[in-house]
Parts: sequence; C-alpha cells; structure tokens
Amino acid sequence: MRTFNRVLDHLEEWLVASFMALATVVIFISVLHRYTADVPWIWQYTQHLSLTWAQELCIYLFIWMAKFGAAYGVRTGIHVGVDVLVRLLEPGKRRFWITFDLLAGAFFTGLIAVLGGLFVWRMTGTGQVSPDLELPMWIVYLAVPLGSSLMCYRFLQVCWRFRRTGELPSHSQAHVEGMEVQART
Amino acid sequence: MNGWIIFILLILLMLTGMPISIALGLTVLSFLFFMTDLPAELVSQRLFTGLDQFAIMAIPFFILAGTFLTHGGVAKRMIRFATALVGHFYGGLAMAGVFACALFAAVSGSSPATVVAIGAILIPAMEKQGYPRKFGVGSIGTAGALGILIPPSIVMVIYSVSTNTSVGKLFIAGIMPGILLAALLMGITWVVAKRNDYPRMERAGLKEIWASFWDAIWGLLLIVVVIGGIYGGVFTPTEAAAVSAVYAFVVAVFVYRDMKLSDVPKVLLDSANTSAMLLYIITNAILFSFLLTSENIPQAMAQWIVDKQLSVWVFLLGVNILLLVAGNFMEPSSIVLLLAPILFPVAMKLGVDPIHFGIVMTINMEVGLIHPPVGLNLYVASNIAKMGLTETTLAFAPWIVVMVLYLLLVTYVPQIATWLPNLVYARPG
Repeated sequence: MRTFNRVLDHLEEWLVASFMALATVVIFISVLHRYTADVPWIWQYTQHLSLTWAQELCIYLFIWMAKFGAAYGVRTGIHVGVDVLVRLLEPGKRRFWITFDLLAGAFFTGLIAVLGGLFVWRMTGTGQVSPDLELPMWIVYLAVPLGSSLMCYRFLQVCWRFRRTGELPSHSQAHVEGMEVQART
Repeated sequence: MNGWIIFILLILLMLTGMPISIALGLTVLSFLFFMTDLPAELVSQRLFTGLDQFAIMAIPFFILAGTFLTHGGVAKRMIRFATALVGHFYGGLAMAGVFACALFAAVSGSSPATVVAIGAILIPAMEKQGYPRKFGVGSIGTAGALGILIPPSIVMVIYSVSTNTSVGKLFIAGIMPGILLAALLMGITWVVAKRNDYPRMERAGLKEIWASFWDAIWGLLLIVVVIGGIYGGVFTPTEAAAVSAVYAFVVAVFVYRDMKLSDVPKVLLDSANTSAMLLYIITNAILFSFLLTSENIPQAMAQWIVDKQLSVWVFLLGVNILLLVAGNFMEPSSIVLLLAPILFPVAMKLGVDPIHFGIVMTINMEVGLIHPPVGLNLYVASNIAKMGLTETTLAFAPWIVVMVLYLLLVTYVPQIATWLPNLVYARPG
C-alpha cells in the first residue's frame, strides 16, 4: 500500500508538471510558427506544418492538468474555504467539522467520478471526435472521472491522516524562492 | 424563492469551512437532485465543457510566468532600481519600497509573495535607518496589494471570463489607476516622512540609475510583452500569457540565473498546483452561474433593482460595501467568480461601463487584501515583521483610509479607468 501511494504521488506530480510544460511549448511554437512566416529560410521548412490544432491541444492539456492538479491540491492543502467560524470552535467540535468538510469533499468528487464515468461510457458508443485533433471525445472526457476519483481518494487519505494524527496539509501562498525569511499564512 | 434556497444552502455549506469549490458544487448538485428534473449527468459534462475556452487558459500561463519571477533575486533588482530612482527623497527607502512593490507585484502576480519578498528585505533595512517599524510595515504591506491592478492580472482575466469583457481592454484600463494609486501611496509616504523628518538617502548617480535599470529591465519587460503584444494585435491574451511564461523562464534561468534548469520542474508543479485550484473553482463557479441563469436569478435581481429605481450612485456604493465585506471571507478570485455573474447584469442594466465596473471590482479586491480583520496581506506582514495582528492593523490604518478614498474616487470618476482604453481602442483600424 505504501509503495502504491508513492508511485501514485510521483505519477500525479509528473503528469501535472508535464501537461503544464507541454501546453506552454505548444502555444509558444504555434505563435513562433505564425510569425516566422515572413522569414523565407525558416518558412520553407515550416510552411507544410499546420498548427491549427494547437489551441485545442492546449485546452485539453490544461483540462487534464486541472483535473489531476486539483487532486494534487487536496494533498497540498491548497483548496481553502471560509474557515473563520470553524477556527473559533473548541478543538473537539472543530475536529468534527473538519472531518465533515473532508468527507463532503470526498462525497462530491466521488459522485462526480460516478456521473462522469457514466457520461464517458455513453460517449464511447457515439463515436464523437474532437474538431481539430480528431481524438475520440470519450478519451478526452476521461479526465473528469479519472481526476475526480483520484481527488476523492486524496480527500479520504487526508481525512484518514487527520483522524489519526490531527495533522492537515497546509499551503503557504507567501512562498518566495531565494529568500531566507518565509511567512506562514 | 428558489434563489433564496440556493443562496442559503451555499452560505451554510461555505460556513462549515469546506473548500469553496466543493460548496459550490454540492449546492448545484443538491439543487438539481431535489428541485428540478434536469439530469444530474449534465453536471459532469459541464465540469468539462465549462473549461473548454481558450481565454481561460491565460490563467495557468500567467501563473507560470509569475512563479518563474517570484524570486528573491528579482525582488532585490527591483529594490535596487527603485532606490536609485527615489531614494534621495524624504522617506526615500519607504518610497522605494512602495515603488518596488508595484514593480514586483506586477511581475509576480501575487500580493502576499510581494509583501514577503520586498518586506523581508526592506522592513529591517528601514528599521536600521531609523524608521519606526510600523511605518515600514504599513507602507510595504499595503503596497503589496498593487499587483492585481497592474497588468498582467489574474483577477482581471477571471473577471473577463465570467462577464465576457475584453481582457486586453481591462489590462489597459488597469494601467492608469495602477500608476495613480502607486503615485498616491508614494505621495502619502513622502508627506508623512517629511513631517517626521525620516532619513533621506544619498542621491544615486546617473550611472547607478542606468545600471540598476538595465538589471531590472528584463523582469519589467514582461509587462511590455503582454500589453504590447495584446494591444499591437501580435497575439491573443492567452498567447501573450504563454509567450510571457516562456519569456519568464528564459529570464529566470538564463539571464538572471536565479534558477537552475533543475529547479524548473518544481516551478511547473507549483504553478500547476495553484492553477488547478483556480480552475477547479472556476469550473464549479461556472456550474453555479449556469444554475443561477437557468433559474433566471440575475435577471430577476436586475429587474428588482431597476424597479426600485435605485440610482447608479447607490448601487455602486452597495457593490463596494458588499465586496469589502466579502473580502473578509474569501480570496479575490473566488469573490470575483462568485459575485461578478450576479452583479454584472445589474450593472449593465443601470448603464455602468463594463470595463469601469471591472476596475472597481479589482480595486475592491485590493482593499480586501489589506483591511482587517482577515486581509491576507495583514497576516503576512505581521508574520515577517514579528508584530501582533492588532499592531499591524494599526500600522496599516493610514494606508487603508487612503485606499478606500481612492476606491470611491475611481468608483465615481469612471474616466480614470475608461479614459486610456477608450483612447487606445477608439483609433480607427
């Protein structure tokens, strides 16, 4: 189980970072491609390339990044809410409400995973493809059930850890690389 | 009636402290399950199609660009340049701090990070020169909020996505109010410093100004790439964002060498983390506003306000108060996502300029970051200065007053925001 979690963690981080990098490179190249049209010696090699699919690919990459990144975000504690009231409660009650919140997260993402799964299942029969890349749409939409299931798993994991150790992951928005002083928020 | 149920449910769920995105999603799901016969499967499809817009993708790109440049080295360069320019005035170091905050915040896109980066260097330096600590905390802590007004601003991209206004126009509209506010904050600093005879620094030679300018320019060019690129029609805002991300990467790794190539995966992962969180709220907020629209709630509200014959004046005042209160509970992007779809139709019906309204909302978000009890910048500033929260709030007080007055000024003098974009976009061709 521990190895499984470690592999899953790495896979998640690796996927999310690569999607981000890939999307940036794709759009950058498509812009370059458009603006080197005036440069004959480059254009003679690149004019046959058609990059009309770049926007679509970028959108899909980011949607996949967003769905898996949201799961990663549960692990890093970046999804915050309005916690003024909960902070005021006595420890016992606070423990209850935090557990409630985490389980609500697991419930919602679990439900979406199921609904998304049903939706994808129905898509497989239609043979719909995306306009530019002509990818089967059900593969593209797979981001919703896969990402949401992972997110559900992360919520349960965080909840389990919280009940056992009382620790919650917390994310600092005020982190600056290359500084000696760091603030907590 | 349905409107009340939706809002009460949402507020109750949010008050339990669950993530805003989950509260939004659960509200929509439970409403669909119990109150309508719309298929709930629609929700999972919307979770995908809601994001299926190229304009939204500017957000992750801008976050990536900002993360590359959110570095102590960049902060030091901005401080050096700002000090060379304004250090010789009364309260020179504090004025330089405000200036450096404006520059760093614009480039990094994060208010709390700006307070840490500039504050951690300058607040101790100011104390060493004999400034009272609370003066440093107040000036730097509030100036850190300037970032969301000066383009590229993620809050503005979010506003433009949720109201269908032009990002390019909003960015250009932000320039004037941004510069004006920075000048105003510097002006106040100067006045206070002069009265208290705070130290001045030696005037920097032209040589130092020139050298520090060349050192800082690479970071600052990011703003030029974005604004120039969008305005010049070179690329769409999203493309501009992608180009600025690549540009920021080149500057951080090859020009400034603040970062090694091996640090890049961490930057990618960090920006993906923040972007995914925002995109997750965005998808759920889009779901939510879809629900509101299908129940005709924004239209009903707009009609109600029109029937009451509320003047624009009163409406804008109400909007400001509502947004300032909301600023106590949520961070800027969530507030805009949640409230823009509701307030925008009303504002349009009353004849408010969409760009002006966006700028007013943005300035509100800035004030929300610094005003008590829970402005994020307050926490960060109190943390790095090792001052209590009450003490920090008192230190912020003069600047908060200035910001609120400025907010009212921009609210009731729309030309401050609309003058530049109208001028720029009115050109034939």
